[in-house]
This record gives sequence, C-alpha cells and structure tokens, in this order.
Amino acid sequence: MNRPMPTHTHFFEDLLNDPMNYLVEASMDKGKIPIGYTCSYVPEVLLSVDPLIPIRIRAPGVLSTEIADIYLSSVICSYTRSVLEMAMDDQYGFLKGWVFAASCDHMRRLYDNMKYLNQADFIHILDVPHRHGNDSFSWYADELKMLLDNISSHHEIRFDQAALSRAIQDHNDFSALLTSIGDMRKPKNPPLSGTEFQAITLSSLVAPRQSILPKIQEFKESLSRQEGISDYRARLLIVGGQMDNLGYIRTIESTGGLVVADHLCTGSIPRLAPIRMDEDPVTAIAAHYLNRISCPRMMEAFDSRVDDIMKSIEEYRVDGVIIEFIKFCDTWGIESSLLANTLRKKGVPVLCLEREYQMTGEGQIKTRIQAFIESMGK
Amino acid sequence: MSIVAGCDVGSLTAKAVIMEKGRIISSALLRSKTNPQLSAEAVMQEALSKAGLSMDDIRYCIGTGYGRKNISFVDKDISEIACHGRGARWLNPGARTIIDIGGQDCKAVRLDKDGNVVKFVANDKCASGTGRFLEVMARLLDIPIEEMGSLSSKSTAPITLSSTCTVWAQADIVKYINSGHKIEDIGAGVNSAMAKRAAILANSVGIEQDVCMTGGVAKNEGVVQDLEKLLGKNIKKMRKADPQIAGAIGAAIFAMESLNGRS
Repeated sequence: MNRPMPTHTHFFEDLLNDPMNYLVEASMDKGKIPIGYTCSYVPEVLLSVDPLIPIRIRAPGVLSTEIADIYLSSVICSYTRSVLEMAMDDQYGFLKGWVFAASCDHMRRLYDNMKYLNQADFIHILDVPHRHGNDSFSWYADELKMLLDNISSHHEIRFDQAALSRAIQDHNDFSALLTSIGDMRKPKNPPLSGTEFQAITLSSLVAPRQSILPKIQEFKESLSRQEGISDYRARLLIVGGQMDNLGYIRTIESTGGLVVADHLCTGSIPRLAPIRMDEDPVTAIAAHYLNRISCPRMMEAFDSRVDDIMKSIEEYRVDGVIIEFIKFCDTWGIESSLLANTLRKKGVPVLCLEREYQMTGEGQIKTRIQAFIESMGK
Repeated sequence: MSIVAGCDVGSLTAKAVIMEKGRIISSALLRSKTNPQLSAEAVMQEALSKAGLSMDDIRYCIGTGYGRKNISFVDKDISEIACHGRGARWLNPGARTIIDIGGQDCKAVRLDKDGNVVKFVANDKCASGTGRFLEVMARLLDIPIEEMGSLSSKSTAPITLSSTCTVWAQADIVKYINSGHKIEDIGAGVNSAMAKRAAILANSVGIEQDVCMTGGVAKNEGVVQDLEKLLGKNIKKMRKADPQIAGAIGAAIFAMESLNGRS
C-alpha cells in the first residue's frame, strides 16, 4: 500500500514503543494515578474514574525472558513471560497498582509471581465466572464492588455514583468515536488500513483518553481526504486474544491482505460496545463486561461467538478469517480448532496462525498468509 | 519465443527451471549462497547458460521460496506452498496430497481436483522433520546425505529415537554410535523419525490420493518407504523431473499462465 498515511498515524505508533509514554507521564504530573491491567474482564472503565487512568499491560521490546523463565513453567505463554520480564526489569515501576483477572491459569501465575516477586504498591485479582447467568452475574458484580472498595481505601478515592456515571459516559463517547472510524472499513475501498486502525485502538489502551481524544478526532477528519485503498487482494477478519504488536497486522497487510475487522481482546469488536446508562453504574458495568461476546474462556457461548463472527464477515465483506493465538494459550488453542472447523463448514476460508507474543518468524508468517490469500484465488 | 522461468530460493538450495511450451528446456540446482539475490542470480545464470539463453530471452519469471521477496529479476512472487502444489501436479497430474520436505520446513498441502490449494499445514518453527535434520544426522554418521536413504533397506534392527528435536536427537545418535550400533540401524531410525513427523502433518490436512513428495527429502527412499507404511498409502514416484525442483517448476508454470493471462 503506497499512499500517504492519515494524519497523526506516527503519533499513535510512537505511543506504543515503550511501556510508559509521555502522555501518561504528563498526566501523572497533574496527579493522575496509572493502574495497569491485563485482561478484557478487568473493566477499564472502573479504572478510568478520575483521577485513575487505565493502562493495558503490554511488553513492547522484550525479546528474551531470562528472568521470567526462572519463575514460570515452560508451558506458560510468551505474553505472560514477557510481562513478568518487563516488570522484573522495573519498567512498569511507574504504575500505582495492578489489577488482574483470573481469566486463565497463565494470568493467575503472573499474579502470583507479581505478588511474590514484584511487591507492587497495590495488586488485586478479580475472580471471573466462566458461565453466564444470574448467579455468575451477582458474583462478578460483587467482585467489582470489592475491587472498588480496595482501590478506594488504598488510593483514598471516592467512587460516588456521579463519578462512575461520568466514566461510563466518557467510555461510551470514546467508544462511539472509535466505532465510527472502524465502520469506515466496511466499504470496498476503505480510507484506512488495519495497521492504522490498530495503532489507534492500541494507543487508546495505553494513553489517557482525554489526551488522545483530539488527535483521534483529527485523524477521523483527515480520513475524509484520504484516497480509498484499492490495491489489496483480500479482505481479512482477524480473530484472537492479546495482539498488541503492530508488526503482525503490518506483516499480514504487506502480503496483500487488508485487515478490515477484528475480534481481538485488544481490538474493537465487541470491546467498544456501549455500556447502559439507565441503571446502577456497577450493575451496568458488570453486565457489559461479563455478557459481551468475547473470550472463549466463557463456556456455553461458542455459538454466540460464531454468530458474531459471521455477522462481521457479512458487514465488513470479509473474504477470509485469520485465527491467531499465542503458543501455549490453552483457551485460544482449543477455540481455534473448533472455530476453524465450524467456519470452514459455513464456507469461510480460515487460516490458523500460532505465534509468539513478540513478532518473530516474519518470513514464515508471510509465506502462510500469502499462501492463504492465493488459496482463496485472490 | 514464449520462454518462461521459475526461480525457487530455499534455505539450503536454490533452483531454477526454464520452460517453453509446457516443457522443461533447462534447470539448475545450487547450494544457497549468503543472500537470496546472489543465490537467484547464480542458479538462474546456470540454467540459462545450459540452454544457451540470456535473461533477455525470458518473457516472464516468477520467484518462490523463502527468498522470493528479495529477487530483483522476477516479475512476481508466489508462495512456495502454491508452487509446490502446481509443480507436483505437473509431475503427476493425479496429485492431490503433497508432502514437501525442504531444508528448513516441512509442509503438507491438499489440492482440489483442479490443482488449487485447499488446505495446508507447515512445521516451520523447528528443525526436526526438515532437510536440515537429515544433514545434521548424516554429518554425525559421517556419510554423504545422498546415502542416508539407502540405509533403511540395509538395516535389520533400526533404532528408535526418543526425541525428534534436532539438538536432543544428536545426543541420542552419539550414544548409539558409542555403544556400537550399526550405522545402517541408526540411519534407519533417523529416516523413520523424519517420516513420523511428516505423517503427522499429512494426516492433519486429510489425505487424498495420489500422494506425492517434493523437496530434497523426496529423494531419500528410506523416508518415503516409512511414510508409505505410516500413511498406509502408496507415494507416487515422480520420474518426469527431480522432485527437488518441483517448486521452481510450479513457479515456471505460474509464469506461463501469467504470460497467457490466466492468473
């Protein structure tokens, strides 16, 4: 794709180079409190109640994990290892707290080791049910209240109804803006690439929303002046867990694919759905995070996930689906096999891409993607 | 003249095929050099000089293999998965399942009745089950790689390798050499380990006949015979050309189709 990039693309990409970016630093100078979190079942909206700012934990630039390997078993995924390595190297020392979710065994081991080794100022783990239903919902809502109580007493913050409602409103406004940009990928010749869209979604996970909002609005305005992308061979939907390295989607797009939609933990669908404003804030937040269709850790929701993917395939005119997962991820490893077979039976071309957390094996990935696109006759 | 070429730059060897009217008029195979461009230039030059041609005579050229993006003289590049599929199809028109064992990876590809790739899997993260594994083992046994295949038929008591990890298998081989096992029994065990890895891949794409092998390891009769036993299927011999140049043949066929406006 040889075309001028939309306004501020480099600005968003630069925010992703290090665990701490200058926007977080500037916010801290104004008294904001950055809290790190690791999973989509940790409600970032709760961590965005003023003066908190949520930081999704990534491990940019970690190439080897010598220290983490001492403490973690050999079948723990490379995302977990990389985060522990970065924390042990004190690169997340600026955080004023960590919130984990017991979303998988790997995250539980990360929490254990962080508590034991890192001795963070504030550390909390949410117990998240694996099923939907009234009992699960009550359990999860109670877990969120406990989290609020703990943060509140530790950082001496009052989470009153008005503050929570404001955080939900900000979340909804911000999500609506990102969704409106994501929707621009539906036409035949979208004005932005998958890499450019991912740069915005990822930077919105690691930078204070109020600081980044004007840039995203300007980015969106600049898209109306962009020429639509037409030199691609296939429109792709990418499905999977934590994918926070721009290199992967850039590599996919370098082979002629155009990523037009994503169902990633760190992506846009369904993460950006609005939270209800007409009920008790904690109840609404619990319902939003527990009930949205997202992670295969939720049992009995496979059919809903398939339906949701099929809906995106139609809306975004998708030619093929790439299911990506990090090696040793039990949750996505099992889901990928079931999902690939189910989608193929529905006539959808699918490529399963097992990978490491950090971008490695670029040549092999290019060969697989190129062969996948060729096999679709594109 | 509608002369076309395919150039396959792999991790261990570079291959070039020149075709005219659907017939191979020249081919070459060389050990890969330090960078893909040098390998491609050298192998193409050899194929051209064998045919008494120059690069100006080539109407269309397609690159493939891991170095395909770095060859300056190709008109287009296509993945080695598609090229091996198309090449195998040319070598055996009934080919539906292709097992390609190259220098640094091992792939299984299933084709539809028209020769299009339907499904593929690759082991591209580990040296076991690749040509590199065989090379390392041949070096340990101090025999030329070309002789590895014949050891299986001479063996009476093949060893069983407890690990197919190239690094750990080396330790096993040294142990067997030191304990006085016959070279042919050790070599047969190595071939059998290779076949087991390839069989896992082949089964995972779903086998349809004819089954064919491409890549350098297709010339190792020990691996081929063990694979036949494991799959319970006959692996069709391809005598029309060297199976190691199947990727370059496929690239040349794609070049011919591009020239004729079919792809």
